[in-house]
Amino acid sequence: MIHFDEMACLLYLEGQLDPQRAQELETHVAECAACSNLLHALQSETTLLSAALTEDSEPVPARILGEQTRRLPIWIWTLAFGAFAAFSYWVWVDGLSPFFDPLSNAGFGGTDLFTTIVFNGAFWEGWGDMMDAMQVGALILVAIVAIVWIRRRLRRNMAVAVVMSAMLLAVALPQQASAADVRRGRAVVIPAGEVIHNDLVAAGPSVRIDGTVEGDVIAFTRYLTVTGHVTGDVIGFAGVTLIDGTVDGNVRVFSQSVMLQGEIGKNLSTVSRSLNLSAKANIKGGAIALAADGDFDGKIQHDLLGLIGRGDIEGLIGGEAWVRGGSLTVASTGEIRGPATFEGPQQPEVESGAKLASPFRTEITQEVRRNRRTAARSIVRALFGYVAAVAVGVFLLLVFPGFFRATLREAESIGLPIGIGALALITGVFVWIIGVLLVFIGVGAGIAAAMAYAPVLYVAQVFVGAWLGNKIMGVAPADSNAALSAWITRLAVGLLVLRVAGFIPVLGSFVWVAVLLWGSGAVLLGFYKMSRRESLPVAA
Amino acid sequence: MAARRFTYEIFQPTAAYYLMDARRHPEGMNPADEAVLQEKIALAKAGNPEAWGELYRDYAPAIFRFCRRAMPTREDAEDATMDIFVKVRQKLSQYDATRSFSAWLYTVAANHCWDLLRRRKLRQDLETGEVENMPLEHPDPGQLEQLVQQRTSQEIRRAMDQLPSRSRMALVLRYYSDMSYDDIADTLAVRRTFVGVVLLRARHQLREILERKSGADLAAGGAA
Repeated sequence: MIHFDEMACLLYLEGQLDPQRAQELETHVAECAACSNLLHALQSETTLLSAALTEDSEPVPARILGEQTRRLPIWIWTLAFGAFAAFSYWVWVDGLSPFFDPLSNAGFGGTDLFTTIVFNGAFWEGWGDMMDAMQVGALILVAIVAIVWIRRRLRRNMAVAVVMSAMLLAVALPQQASAADVRRGRAVVIPAGEVIHNDLVAAGPSVRIDGTVEGDVIAFTRYLTVTGHVTGDVIGFAGVTLIDGTVDGNVRVFSQSVMLQGEIGKNLSTVSRSLNLSAKANIKGGAIALAADGDFDGKIQHDLLGLIGRGDIEGLIGGEAWVRGGSLTVASTGEIRGPATFEGPQQPEVESGAKLASPFRTEITQEVRRNRRTAARSIVRALFGYVAAVAVGVFLLLVFPGFFRATLREAESIGLPIGIGALALITGVFVWIIGVLLVFIGVGAGIAAAMAYAPVLYVAQVFVGAWLGNKIMGVAPADSNAALSAWITRLAVGLLVLRVAGFIPVLGSFVWVAVLLWGSGAVLLGFYKMSRRESLPVAA
Repeated sequence: MAARRFTYEIFQPTAAYYLMDARRHPEGMNPADEAVLQEKIALAKAGNPEAWGELYRDYAPAIFRFCRRAMPTREDAEDATMDIFVKVRQKLSQYDATRSFSAWLYTVAANHCWDLLRRRKLRQDLETGEVENMPLEHPDPGQLEQLVQQRTSQEIRRAMDQLPSRSRMALVLRYYSDMSYDDIADTLAVRRTFVGVVLLRARHQLREILERKSGADLAAGGAA
């Protein structure tokens, strides 16, 4: 007897055998126990396979059961990235670069000043820590993205855990880097004769250093007085700053008024209302000064770079002088050994007897022409800013529709978000970031945290704009995907009205403050609501 | 007509079979349901989000289970399911109403998963198995019956995870999705006449894994 092989039996069971051969098999199986058994065994195997494959061994994940969120096509991401890049470029070219250009044009320090400030720590040494923190953060972010996108095994809770630990790490790093002596009190005094072999961070109504600090001094105070000796830098945020002693490093102060009578080993950088270098003052490096009033009676061994409303040079400038401002006088005792440049509405006044290496190169700022140019420029800038704001709004709408809707809902109740926004701005930014982070954790982390709040303030206008658009054109349909164009139109109209209102001379600034508080409050409430919702189990 | 009776016995569907079938083919067998389904599809084609939502909710679990069997990890299966429905939404206009919707859906899903697996350079195990030349040992029906009786569904699923991608895919396409030999041939890019060979080969590999396992169990039991 010729038996049928396993292949034929399988094909028969699957209905794939041609009718004639199927007939033959059936006839054969009726008489052959072996083939009949094989057929049975194969059929049992099929049943087992089907059952094994179909059985519910694990629940279908909530992500699948929930509403299907539409994945964004790549072009939206490309567009969003492009918009962001354009926006960043615009901010740099139109906003930041013009501010730094004159500084670097002055040839201060010989290299590009922006690079010096940002990367060489000429202005603030905390950049190093901050860069470390940012790099660690960026690396961890890259790692997360890599894990999520390549392995696709990371679940949400784990991702949150990783991000949290990354943030902790980032905050912890600068702290380890600067184990400073921290002192607080009504009056922080380092008496003459006392020596601190460490950096000193001091906060309180008055800070006075008569002794010696072998390190940097960072002070937050109303009255900062240094009559002793600081071997490192002095970084101060103060009402009145008086430096009568010796500082071997740099002096960088943000202060209402600054008086210098002592010796500074390196450079001076100040942002102040008035700056006074007495005849005794001797700065061995250069000086950058932003001040309404500037009196330079002492010696600056290198360059002076100043944005000074009313300037008076009675002492020595060892290098180049570049001053921009309202008026400048060089007294008969004054001396400038390098090239001198003044930009202002009038010629600088040079008294007879003043020693200049070369005559002043003066650029008279022509008010009328400048105004027209800046007007055209500000229109372009406003247009750009408007387009960027709409783009950010559309981006939020497409990428985070849930968050967008939640925030907009919060914006509806006008009072609460404005209150929250104001509260967050005052407590959050002022007390928490400046007070706690700067003093106890590190300047880098404090600035980084403050910068993290900037996007919240920026997107504030988007939600107020959307709210306004809805008020003007009627509420857009709830389904953001179905009525995308309606939403974009409302965003565009609302933001346009806001922007135009912002141009009204006095009222405009009030509008902006209101928008910032209102919108940022709504954003914070939106975040809060979203975080609450995330923690709820997803209904199947 | 003994043979006829025999055939009838084999294909007598059971209640359990219907239950399984409802999971794989949510539209059911009722002609009224079919009309409702076609209505939904037509609405979804026209861009109605509610109709699409219902289609999604009806079929997503079945497609997820398919992906879970075909793909190596749960996360892969989740991602594949999402991607498949994005594709389905785009391709919905190409769906031909004379065909079964779930069959069409499984074809899209199978192509997507098979593409993914192939792109992941799992070729080495795809290319092994010169199916045409591999001699298959004729099984002892008694032994096979015994093996089948002893194994639970879970053991089968675990063993299937160890199969080469093509074998696993073939079994899933045939015994989960009920795909025709023609569609399987298209998806796996083999000639139609070899679909049976691929399936039989896959069964043999599965039996081998299961036997090896029971051998290991016996050895472990003997040692203890």
